[in-house]
Amino acid sequence: MTDGCPGAVSRRRFLQGTGGAALVGGATGLLGCSSDDLGGARSASSTGAEGEHQYLAFRGPHQAGVTALHQASSMMASFVVTAADRDELRELFVTLTEESERLMSGTPYDELDPAYPALYTGHLGNPPPAADLSIVVSVGESLFDDRYGLADRKPVELEHMPFLANDRLDPERSHGDLLLSISSANEDTDLFALRQLMRVTRGSLVLHWMLDGYTRRAETGPGEAGVRNLMGFVDGTANLRPEDDDAMDRFVWVAEDDGEPAWAVGGSYHAVRVIRMLVEFWDRTRLSEQEALIGRKKDNGAPLDGEVETDIPDFAADPDGEITPLDAHIRRANPRTPETDGQLVLRRGFSFSRGFDGNGQLDQGLAFVSYQRSMSKQFLPVQERLAGEPLEEYILPVGGGFFFALPGATEGSHLGEALVS
Amino acid sequence: MRKSIITVLALIFVFGGALAACGDDDGAAVRDCDEGSASGGSASAGSASGGGSGSGADCSSSAPVDTSLTVDNALVDEALVQYKAYVLDQIETTIAATTEFTDAVRAGDLEAAKELYAPSRQGWEAIEPVAGLVEEVDGAVDARVDDFEGEDDPAFTGWHRIEYILWELGTTDGAAEYADGLDENLQVLQDEVEAMDEIPPAALVVGASELIEEVSTGKITGEEDRYSHTDLWDFAANVEGSEYGVELLAPALEEADPDLLADIRANFEELDAQLAEYEDGEGGYVSYEELTEEDKTAMTATLAELSENLSLMAGALGLQ
Repeated sequence: MTDGCPGAVSRRRFLQGTGGAALVGGATGLLGCSSDDLGGARSASSTGAEGEHQYLAFRGPHQAGVTALHQASSMMASFVVTAADRDELRELFVTLTEESERLMSGTPYDELDPAYPALYTGHLGNPPPAADLSIVVSVGESLFDDRYGLADRKPVELEHMPFLANDRLDPERSHGDLLLSISSANEDTDLFALRQLMRVTRGSLVLHWMLDGYTRRAETGPGEAGVRNLMGFVDGTANLRPEDDDAMDRFVWVAEDDGEPAWAVGGSYHAVRVIRMLVEFWDRTRLSEQEALIGRKKDNGAPLDGEVETDIPDFAADPDGEITPLDAHIRRANPRTPETDGQLVLRRGFSFSRGFDGNGQLDQGLAFVSYQRSMSKQFLPVQERLAGEPLEEYILPVGGGFFFALPGATEGSHLGEALVS
Repeated sequence: MRKSIITVLALIFVFGGALAACGDDDGAAVRDCDEGSASGGSASAGSASGGGSGSGADCSSSAPVDTSLTVDNALVDEALVQYKAYVLDQIETTIAATTEFTDAVRAGDLEAAKELYAPSRQGWEAIEPVAGLVEEVDGAVDARVDDFEGEDDPAFTGWHRIEYILWELGTTDGAAEYADGLDENLQVLQDEVEAMDEIPPAALVVGASELIEEVSTGKITGEEDRYSHTDLWDFAANVEGSEYGVELLAPALEEADPDLLADIRANFEELDAQLAEYEDGEGGYVSYEELTEEDKTAMTATLAELSENLSLMAGALGLQ
């Protein structure tokens, strides 16, 4: 099962390419190891136990990483695009497509004469073992400025992430022309993918910011509390199920009748909010206060009016907020009314820890990541409701940005093809 | 000797011993990350070679190339002969320009000395990989303060010590002894290179690549000439030296891998154009402080792509 991509892949003509793509080369003949059936590839994977990981199918109408499961480790890297013109930008997308497909499919690299630098880092073998690796390529609003003549192709609702409630955005850790989101079963695999991807795109991508982290568990058994964030609360209970194709069609993928540019169909708005948690302060807060701020019990994740995590809170029966305060986080985020039903987003966030600040306080938090079909109908109204929530006292959005995850690359095409053609 | 040991210990302390990255896993290649091993005109004083010294930044600056590598290629042999002539020519130029500089220092003419500082380094920067072969000279004339305990460390000598005195202290007082040492060391360099039977192939083939690594890791950050901000002068000289080396190798590369040569030439063309934007109209370059983040980002990308391509030259030419 893990050997889904036999090593019978013909190697590209090393050093016969031209331009910056020389290391990537031409057609790689990976077709044999990609499956058109993303669902099938994933469903073959079990609970993510050791040794049961997959090489995920790269090809399809959507980028596989948006809905991939069982990935405990994640990384985002935002870049400034330095491609000189539209042609170089196209080359960049071709290169990213080829290298991403190679990495996700586990296609081995050529072994060169030792007088050359090796074509791969070597820290995971060649090819690295299957690890559910996925790479999502997204573009930022700034790519649609006057550099590449793409202004009239910008997704309608893609904008520079404004200062939202409570923000302290650090410009050095925000925005970017292009975002790579790399996820897999382990950090090693993410780092391998990042280094390989950067190596073949040197002339066109310069790192702007990056962030890595983890999610403990993607799924839970009956009665178990789900993924917890660094505040110690379960997070993502009411999240959409990535394997629910109908829900993805309704809430995540841009569709033909959405009034978006044709190239964007099959893509998704990609919001990233790097939210620092003031964990020292939080850890000194009374448990009852924490539970009232969040709207869930800390031990088992049950809503304040329920018994288990999966119980649906009945806010209608508590109109004055006597059980769940009206300004509790989960109530503001998802009031569970018919009017707010259509505002669900697919959350793919992860926890991060990156040392400490000048005051000796830990720099930890949540990289909130969501995919949605519309910003104005989903993400933004939720943000608006959350503005001013009492939880703000304990959190500080410090970075991130708004991006658009490109549609997938089907056979014979490359990521962003319709965008740059 | 004492100073070097203290420096090494201090570095080990600061970097927690996680220095293996600087280490050398091949006895033949003296990849010594510690440039601060020599003091004044004296010979190498107990520098720690192998896996013991230096931070990443130290490693990046002109680590000597592996002199044991060879190439079985008549075109490369020819290039090496020409390269030796170029190197000697650059040393000659360096000595002439540096003597003007050190004369001004000794004469106590602060303004003239500051004017002559950046030009004096041009020849040296163009041939750094070869200069680095004469280790005791490299450490004595071009080490940065990072390799020492501080700016008043007596082992901190050479151009950057004088640069510090001229710009930070605003005087020529106390600089004369370093001016003398600089002159003496450059003479040692000239003698030693003249005495070499031939320039080791790696100094040209890998050296062209190392010059650009030097720019990518040392110059683009503005740390080389931190007092005078004349980094772009060095930057341009590194690029020129690398480009010159590649052109000498062009006949061999044309045969071995013409596409690679074309890529490298295109990268140099782009880089030269970027650098030209910062010329000051008087034969030099503007202060590094005038560059914006966008300027640096654009050059970072070009340099990085060039580095990738140059790293393939040794393989293409079969350096073994």
